[in-house]
Amino acid sequence: MIIEAHALRKTFIARRGRGKTEEVEAVKGVDLSVAEGEIFAALGPNGAGKTTTVRMLATFTVPTAGTAIVAGHDVVKEAAKVRERIGYVSQAGGVDENAPGLENLLLAARLAGHSRKQALVRADELLATFSLTEIAGRPVKTLSGGQKRRFALAIGLVNRPPLVFLDEPTTGLDPQNRANLWDEVRALRDQGTSVLLTTHYLDEADALCDRLVIIDNGLVVAEGTPEALKKEVAGDVVTLRVDDLAAAERLLAAQPYIKETQPQDDALRAYLDDGEHNLAALLRALEVEGLAIRSISLDRATLDDVFLRHTGRSLRDAA
Amino acid sequence: MFRHTMLFLGYELGNVRRNPAWAVLGILQPVLYLLLFAPLLTQTTRSGTLGEALRMFTPGSMMMIALFGSMFAGFSMINETRNGVLERLAVSQAWRPAIILGRVTKDMLVLAFQALLVMGVAVLMGLRLSLAATLLMLLLMAATGLFAASLSYGLALAIRDENGLSQIVQFFALPLTLLAGMLLPVSLGPEWMQTVARFNPLYYSVEAGRSLFADRLSDTTIPVAFGIFAVLGALSLAWSVRSLGKLAG
Repeated sequence: MIIEAHALRKTFIARRGRGKTEEVEAVKGVDLSVAEGEIFAALGPNGAGKTTTVRMLATFTVPTAGTAIVAGHDVVKEAAKVRERIGYVSQAGGVDENAPGLENLLLAARLAGHSRKQALVRADELLATFSLTEIAGRPVKTLSGGQKRRFALAIGLVNRPPLVFLDEPTTGLDPQNRANLWDEVRALRDQGTSVLLTTHYLDEADALCDRLVIIDNGLVVAEGTPEALKKEVAGDVVTLRVDDLAAAERLLAAQPYIKETQPQDDALRAYLDDGEHNLAALLRALEVEGLAIRSISLDRATLDDVFLRHTGRSLRDAA
Repeated sequence: MFRHTMLFLGYELGNVRRNPAWAVLGILQPVLYLLLFAPLLTQTTRSGTLGEALRMFTPGSMMMIALFGSMFAGFSMINETRNGVLERLAVSQAWRPAIILGRVTKDMLVLAFQALLVMGVAVLMGLRLSLAATLLMLLLMAATGLFAASLSYGLALAIRDENGLSQIVQFFALPLTLLAGMLLPVSLGPEWMQTVARFNPLYYSVEAGRSLFADRLSDTTIPVAFGIFAVLGALSLAWSVRSLGKLAG
């Protein structure tokens, strides 16, 4: 395990006006274990405690309680050793926009212990990997969002860390740049680098990670592979809108092929396996009962359904 | 540790080199003061010459850049608390004090360079300066800059708000300027003003500057000013490094 965290907690003292303080429990007890060579995601709405968790694991924030061993060392007692073996790309990126990307890279490489010559070699490698060679001399503020993000990633990898933290790596990127960044993250894993990323995008966690935890309100509410988590809910989901929701809920509960029903706004989400076959039976049952259907749709269950099941609300509404 | 300080210094100087216009613009204000204000002072001096007015006024105008230029150094750091640069450096292998030390050293070097330019203009206008006085004045500027810049970084890390920092700097700047006798010597004022001025550290650097420019190199004001700024510089530096450690909350 490259990350082993137990009961991590973080309480901030927030100032509320004159002399008044308030304790804010950002993280209420998180257990995490990430295997070597794995892409691991922490999925959750904004404010769930993902960033604080990552900051504790990356030695930026000292935990209020709990322990974490990262890359073989304790994050509190051996922070310096952890720092040698991790890369950290924060949500903000951490690139000095007034300087050229190359200068950013060279400074980071030299701080990591490279000589001037080694730093140049390493910077060249990273520039080539992320297709940044041609824009290496331009001030970062003149670059596009995707290019800045690639520089941030390159800087995070300068010391060849076995573990990289990526905090919301694709927030604000257009779909093309997002897809490219996903490829770059997969390439990292293929070279044996472990990745812990946070995201509030369901599709990102689903498509990219090997395992994930869902974090809500400072707690882990579910953990597993995307497939296993979705399977726990069901293969498919029927979203049904009718006038009499209560009657529909009773009817759905009586159907043997419906595993579970969750109300969501003015609709019902009914979970079932083998949806293509069972949809016909469901339609018949609704007709027999005389319930007028306003709309009905059949989809594959997503991680949002997992989130809904564990928290009672949709990730889209949770932010 | 020293290596990391030098790395940060080199990086910061690289940024100055790429945008030298800002550092050069910084000397505009004291030069304008020399050109447009010093001549007004000739009547107030004993001999009534521009040379004497320059001897009295140039050190004050130089301390103005030491104070103003350096007090605004923190603005770049407020930006760095937001764009993630400090966050990244905090979890890198960098020795943390070097992050501040490198920047403060850059500020001191830029200040010494600006001071040299201002003294050059004053000499062209008719001021006479010995080599020893010039070198000591550069050191005094650097010591004042060490204090003002570290204080500014410390304030930036504590406040983390451009408006707040700018209000605080403005709030203190004018009284500190007048009570240091930067424009006109405090000795021209009433006794209470002279008493209050003694609590203003900048008063000592301006006085020491005047002694240097008058070539009174053995004047006690000089070691007193260096002593005060060595202590204040160390304190403000320690404070800003500590504030950096608290960044994570």
